[in-house]
Amino acid sequence: MRANVWSGRNTVQVENVPDPRILNDRDAIVKVTSTAICGSDLHLYDGYIPTMKRGDILGHEFMGEVVETGKGVGNLQVGDRVVVPFPIACGDCWSCRHELYSVCENSNPNAGIAEKMFGHPTAGIFGYSHITGGYAGGQAEYARVPYADVGPIKIEDDLPDDQVLFLSDIFPTGYFGADLCDIEGGEVIAVFGAGPVGQFAIASAILLGAERVIAIDQYEYRLQMARGKAGATDSINFSENPDIVEQLKDMTGGRGPDAVIDAVGMEAAHGHGALHAVDRVKQSTRSESDRGHALRDAILACRPGGIVSVIGVYGGLLDKFPSGAFMNKGLQLRAGQCHVQKYTRPLYERIRDGQIDPSFVVTHRLGLDQAPDGYETFKHKQDECVKVVLTP
Amino acid sequence: MPFPPRPIDSTLHGVTDYSVGAALMTGLPKWAGVGGTESARQIRTAGAVHAGYSTLTDYPLGLVKLIPYKAHLALDALGALALAATPFVTGQYKKGRRHWVPHVALCLFELSSLAMSDPTGKGDFHGDIEAVRRANTEDPHRKIHEGPPAVTRVNV
Repeated sequence: MRANVWSGRNTVQVENVPDPRILNDRDAIVKVTSTAICGSDLHLYDGYIPTMKRGDILGHEFMGEVVETGKGVGNLQVGDRVVVPFPIACGDCWSCRHELYSVCENSNPNAGIAEKMFGHPTAGIFGYSHITGGYAGGQAEYARVPYADVGPIKIEDDLPDDQVLFLSDIFPTGYFGADLCDIEGGEVIAVFGAGPVGQFAIASAILLGAERVIAIDQYEYRLQMARGKAGATDSINFSENPDIVEQLKDMTGGRGPDAVIDAVGMEAAHGHGALHAVDRVKQSTRSESDRGHALRDAILACRPGGIVSVIGVYGGLLDKFPSGAFMNKGLQLRAGQCHVQKYTRPLYERIRDGQIDPSFVVTHRLGLDQAPDGYETFKHKQDECVKVVLTP
Repeated sequence: MPFPPRPIDSTLHGVTDYSVGAALMTGLPKWAGVGGTESARQIRTAGAVHAGYSTLTDYPLGLVKLIPYKAHLALDALGALALAATPFVTGQYKKGRRHWVPHVALCLFELSSLAMSDPTGKGDFHGDIEAVRRANTEDPHRKIHEGPPAVTRVNV
C-alpha cells in the first residue's frame, strides 16, 4: 500500500510499504477514506519529538471503512464506517475505566521510554513517534487499529467525511480545552492560537456558553476564520502589537479573561524579539525542548483565580515558567492529551443536531501522494492554509 | 529544494544576528588573541552595530520594524566587507596575521550565512505551491471569507 512516511527532519515521502495485518484478536484493519495533517504532526516534521525513525508512517487523524476484524472485536462489522480516535486505549485499565483514555496503562509498548520522560507511561498514539508506541499511522491506504472494540466510533448516517473526520482529534481536543475551563455561561475565554485546534476550542467555548471568546494569532486569515466561522467575538493579531497580556487586560476591564486556552504548544512564535531569540537558540541547541511563550503569556494574562487550559502539545522542558504569577494569582493549570473516546459520542450528536459543521476548517483537500507539499504548505502557512485533508 | 539551498529563514537569521553580535561584543576578540588591541575595538564595534540594526529590522526578532529585511541583508554584506577591509585600510595588517585574519574570517562567515539566507524570509519552504493550488479541491479564500458561521450558539 501507499503511505506517507517520516524520512528525516523536514522530509516526508509517500512510499510503498507492506499492508497492515491483524496481530491481535482485538485489532481491526481500516481502509482509510480520509486522513488529515495535524498541527502536532509538524512537531514530528520539524524534528522536535525524539524517537522518530525513518520509515515511520505518520498520521493520527483518520477514518475509513472496516475491512477486517479480529475475533475479539464484536462491535464492528466489515463494511462499517468508522472514525478512529488518536489515543489507543484498552478500555480495561484503571485510567480507561475513569475515562482517562490518553493515559491508558496498557496500550503503549514503549511505556519505559515514556516513563523516563514523563514520570509515568502514557497511551499509545497512531503515527506519533516511538515514545507513544511506534504505531503505524493513518496517512496511508490502510491502518491497523488496536483495541478496535474500544476506540472507533461507528458513523451511522451519510454525513460526509469532512464533517466527522475531526472527531478523531481536533474537535474533541478543542472541546476538551474548553471543557477544562468550567464554562457555566457568561465567561470571557481567550484562546492562544487560531490553528485548527484553536478554531475548535473557540467554537467549543461558544457551544458551552461563553459570552466572549478572544482569538489570538499572528495570521489575519486565521483570525478571520475564527471570527467569521468559529464564533470568536474578538481577536488580537500579535504581529501588529506583541503585548498580548496588556491587550487582554484592556479588553476585559483590567481583570483578564476568566480562562485562557493554550492551543499553541511547543513551537510558539511571538512578537517579543529578544525573548523569541533566546527560545529559538535554546530549542535549536536542545537546551530546552519547548518554546513556552504562549503558556507564559496565558499565565500572565489570566485573571486571578482563573483557569489555564493547555491543549497545545509540549514535549519535555521549558524555561522562564512564571511560577510566581501562577502561584500568587491562585491559578488552576489543567492540561492533557485529549481523552478522545470520552467525547466522540456527544460531539457526534452535536454535529448531527446541526450545532456545528466541523468541515469549516478544511482549506486544502489533496491526494495522499501530495502529502509532502501538503506538509510544507501547512507548516509555512502558505495559500491561507488552515487544515489539509488527504484522500488516499 | 531550491539550489543553492537557503535554509535560513528570517527568524533563524535573527537568532544568528543576535548571537554573533553578542559574541563579537564580548569574548570573541580575546578568544581570537587580539584582546586589548585596536582589532578588538573594531570587532566589538562591528558586533554592536550589527546587533543594533538587527533590533530595528522588520523581521520576527526585530524590536522596532524600520528596516526592510532585504535592506538588512544588504547591510550585512556591506558590513562584512567593511570589516574585512578595515585592517588593510588602517595598515594594522602589517603588525601580524592575528590583526587581520579574524576580520577576514568573520567576513567569510557572514557572507556564507548570507548565501544560505532566503531573502524572501520564507527560509526552507520547499513545497510546490502551484501544484497544491492545482490539486486542491477546496477554495481556501472562499472558505475563510465567505459563508455563514459554522457554529450555532445554543442556550445553556
